[in-house]
Amino acid sequence: MKRIIVEYDKCDGCKNCSAACMQAHRETDGTIYDLDLTDPKNESRNYILKDAEGRYKPLFCRHCDEPECVKSCMSGALTKDSESGHVFYDETRCGSCFMCVMNCPFGVLKPDIVSKSKVIKCDFCVNAGGEPSCVAACPKKAIHVEEV
Amino acid sequence: MKYVIVGVGVAGIEAAKEVRKRDADGDILMISADAQIHSRCMLHKFIAGERDEKGLDFTELDFFEKYRIHWKSGVRVKGVCPEEKEIILDDGGRVGYDKLLLANGADSFIPPVGDLRKASNVYGLRNLSDAQAIVKEAEDAKEVLVIGSGLVGLDAAYGLLERGKKLTIVEMVDQILPVQLDAHGAAAYQELFEKAGVRFVLGRRASEAVCEADGKIHKVKLDNGEELACDLLIVAAGVRPAIGCLEGSGVACERGITVDSHMRTTCQDIYAAGDITGRSGIWPNAADQGRIAGRNMCGVEAEYTDIYAMKNTINFFGLVTLCVGRIRPEEGDDIRIKEDRTQYKRVILKDGKVEGVLLQGDIAHAGTWQYLIKNQIDVSGIGKDIFDVSYADFYFTGEKGEYVWA
Amino acid sequence: MNQCYGCNTCKSADKPLEEFIAGLPLETSHHRVDSQSTKCAFGLQGVCCRLCSNGPCRITPESPRGICGANADTIVTRNLLRAVASGSGCYIHVVENTALNVKNTAKSGGEIKGINTLNRLAEIFGIEEADAHKRAEAVADAVLKDLYLPEYEKMKLTEKLAYAPRYEKWKELGILPGGAKSEVFHGVVKCSTNLNSDPVNMLLDCLKLGISTGIYGLVLTNLLNDVVLGEPEIRFAPVGLRVIDPDYINIMITGHQHSMFTFLQNRLTDEDVKEKARKAGAKGFKLIGCTCVGQDLQLRGAHYTEVFDGHAGNNYTSEAILATGGIDAVISEFNCTLPGIEPICDELKIKQICIDNVAKKANAELKEFDFENRPAVTEEIIDEIVEAYQARRGSVPMNLMKEHGYENTLTGVSEVSLKKFLGGNWQPLIDLIVSGDIKGVAGVVGCSNLTAGGHDVLTVDLVKELIAKDIIVLTAGCSSGGIENCGLMTPEAAKFAGSKLRVVCEKLGIPPVLNFGPCLAIGRLEIVATELAEALGVDLPQLPLVLSAAQWLEEQALADGCYGLALGLPLHLGLPPFVSGSKVAVQVLTEDMKKLTGGQVIINADAKESADILEGIILDKRQGLNI
Repeated sequence: MKRIIVEYDKCDGCKNCSAACMQAHRETDGTIYDLDLTDPKNESRNYILKDAEGRYKPLFCRHCDEPECVKSCMSGALTKDSESGHVFYDETRCGSCFMCVMNCPFGVLKPDIVSKSKVIKCDFCVNAGGEPSCVAACPKKAIHVEEV
Repeated sequence: MKYVIVGVGVAGIEAAKEVRKRDADGDILMISADAQIHSRCMLHKFIAGERDEKGLDFTELDFFEKYRIHWKSGVRVKGVCPEEKEIILDDGGRVGYDKLLLANGADSFIPPVGDLRKASNVYGLRNLSDAQAIVKEAEDAKEVLVIGSGLVGLDAAYGLLERGKKLTIVEMVDQILPVQLDAHGAAAYQELFEKAGVRFVLGRRASEAVCEADGKIHKVKLDNGEELACDLLIVAAGVRPAIGCLEGSGVACERGITVDSHMRTTCQDIYAAGDITGRSGIWPNAADQGRIAGRNMCGVEAEYTDIYAMKNTINFFGLVTLCVGRIRPEEGDDIRIKEDRTQYKRVILKDGKVEGVLLQGDIAHAGTWQYLIKNQIDVSGIGKDIFDVSYADFYFTGEKGEYVWA
Repeated sequence: MNQCYGCNTCKSADKPLEEFIAGLPLETSHHRVDSQSTKCAFGLQGVCCRLCSNGPCRITPESPRGICGANADTIVTRNLLRAVASGSGCYIHVVENTALNVKNTAKSGGEIKGINTLNRLAEIFGIEEADAHKRAEAVADAVLKDLYLPEYEKMKLTEKLAYAPRYEKWKELGILPGGAKSEVFHGVVKCSTNLNSDPVNMLLDCLKLGISTGIYGLVLTNLLNDVVLGEPEIRFAPVGLRVIDPDYINIMITGHQHSMFTFLQNRLTDEDVKEKARKAGAKGFKLIGCTCVGQDLQLRGAHYTEVFDGHAGNNYTSEAILATGGIDAVISEFNCTLPGIEPICDELKIKQICIDNVAKKANAELKEFDFENRPAVTEEIIDEIVEAYQARRGSVPMNLMKEHGYENTLTGVSEVSLKKFLGGNWQPLIDLIVSGDIKGVAGVVGCSNLTAGGHDVLTVDLVKELIAKDIIVLTAGCSSGGIENCGLMTPEAAKFAGSKLRVVCEKLGIPPVLNFGPCLAIGRLEIVATELAEALGVDLPQLPLVLSAAQWLEEQALADGCYGLALGLPLHLGLPPFVSGSKVAVQVLTEDMKKLTGGQVIINADAKESADILEGIILDKRQGLNI
């Protein structure tokens, strides 16, 4: 399975991964130039956290081997794809219970801002060519894809 | 090898998947009273008319074909005979097994108040069949009385509001959602339900309910004498494990079926998982129990260890809440509160550890709280506001790039 | 494996150059495009604010305001105003030095090569001095006086130089500039921490800075230089790396201030200095044109045929020019001197000298070039360059590219020389426009960058698209350097034009793309536009004329662009000027501007689409004029 490997000590906190993620998942057509950075509909699926010392700790969905989110999903919206190994989210099946949010041990998941009815979840850019946009956008090469 | 799994709830389904994963050739038979696979957590969506029956299915497409499972639906288990390695069905049939999993859940508990157990317009909300019956009864009903303001009671009310019913909810204690929330967090939901037209009667219990000539209860008298009119009653007073069929079988039961950490019952080759064990009523745990049972049924040693179940999420009217751990404050607690226009958050700390968290309005990235609470992680030395503590403070990656709690 | 520094160089419209750079053993900017290809989206959209210690703040859906409360509109327009003020400052610095040079030349009785321009300016300014030197001094003084006015006093020459309908429009909008230097000051103050937060107010200031930049920094710099350096004359000249002759001591010049080189360039052809070269083993000295100052020398090349062989290339060709090994020294006085030339100069033992401290390069020797001390400084520079020549020749490998570029590139086009070429008035051009033989005019101006498709890629592609639509292209700036090295400024390029324009070009023996020289000459191009409008009796926005700074690079270009908008002209940009994060800025620049000044910004990175849009605008304007 392919996983985005994070080397946090290389992260500068520029959030370009986040912007790239928003761009990859926007509903409208367009380029990074016209991506509406004030529209709460455009949410990133990755996050740059900071520890108490101020070091950046990038939080990216791991598509876990034993995904707690999938285990806790009561609607069948979250599934671990047997071929790619990635955890996919089917918005149309989701029952908006957010047990996945509660059960992700790393706090990756969150409800969407606008409708509070969907989960914001990394899809490995499966609809944008399958190469994660965040990885392509990282100027520090702090994230890369590896077969694990 | 013949595996028989009773129940197509999450425990049964997960067990079946696990068995198929480990035994490609074994015979798997699932038996259920449910005619349709459905997620109990979404019944309110059915009542509201948001989803049809199919929309409640939580399994993969063509589940039974994919996993090569036989499914006998619409039948109940009447008895279990460990000696003969057989179960008896309510259609008179008998089914033999090599390994048996009892995952047939629980039944709504209707308290013995007045004619509640007798009347034809009184329902629990546990199965799709309950929801279907409620929807049918609601066609002619104007006023609905819900007894109990826990998640099930509010689910029912939420669904029926969508159908334009006039709703009254009676609750024994003086706040709604008493198991999940503190009074402040509960008040937020109360307000939202009231805005939507629901009337709450708190701190009261039903004392009299008489069946009228049509076999229905049309009014309920409360312990203060107040009478509430109703055409439909929903009783949300908890569930009881469905262990009736085990009487005299030799399978030991207390509140539910007694199981060890391998989900084994006291009888050879009989396992139990989910609500029927009386251990935990929540989805992820039932799923876990099913998987553990499945593994053990295939001879793969596995233990159910992640038993933490003091956790809930709530989502009504777009107001989301997450609560994990202890809700009621105790002497010596260090209580931290953060509240504004959009959120109410409360953390209970004791001896530098988080004992309980309640997050309302904003539950983004809240998954770490469960880990902190159930593993009793000391957070006192982090040097951050408690509400800012995140996985960043425990960040560690393993050899395969997976996150590991440092 | 080979000796190439890296095989991931960016594309160039100039294919032989692309190949040359890809094969270099040295790192150039073309190599770094790849490693800088990840752009910060917040920077791209202009929504990163670093104006206070609370920052940097960036706008996201979850943080729609900075800590101070500034929203995307405020942050974007503050950043834009700051950039425009800086860009304006650059041009005002250039015109200030230029005017001082005219003044000092006049005071010291130096040669006045452009008497016609002097008289033209004196007439416009209302100066009646019989003596040419005194006249020149008065002209320079009038310009300097305006530049030094406070912000609250309007500059006097604006009204005299601007087209009357435009002046009235600016007055109506309240954007007539005060003293040009003070306007820069005012702009910088306005966009500092927690001052102005009104996006429209700041955008109007950008226009005001555009006017002072355009009329003083652009128009007057050209004309003042014409007085002292000589007027452009239409002629053919070689361009490209071919102009480097290793038999000479070669000095590459970079910057924007031609006036600073005049003394040196005259000295280099004096017999005693040539003798120094001969003694060192060279035939003499040559100046090799690069960036806009090279364009300016090319433009006026008729006056310096001995010392100036031609323009080698634009800003992003500078590293390749050095990498030929044929350059012995770089003298720079202003911007577009890339920091990246420094390691190359070190490696190839090329002497770096800066003659204006605003452009001091880390490895360069600073030789400040005041009017009084210039003879002494010039001698020092010449001696040091001869020394460098002797030290490096023989030990540094030559990697010349004698075939690169074109021998017969048309140059020397100005508002005066072009009119003269047409017979002394604009009627022939107007007739061609009216008849539709020339559908319209596009000024493809400004810089060169490496990111809009690659080096000059969008610019050259756009030009090809435009001329194929019978739209004649006028150029100024580093865009010229790229376009001419691709051969579009030779008469043979007529074959790329649409059938009607092709006939016109072939009849006149001119290319379909006319080069006005440095970016400063955008001012000349706008004089042409004004004179055309005057001849037709219309205002500028009515003309079938569009501007494109397709590969704009820097802050100066933004100030230029604001002048274009103030003039009411449609302005195409290949890449957005870091404003797309603000809905208000985008709305004002691309839409509301049409009502304010008649101008508009068009942002499009695709050559074909851009050409279609610009053609559409030209057709609309033609319709408006009933032609």
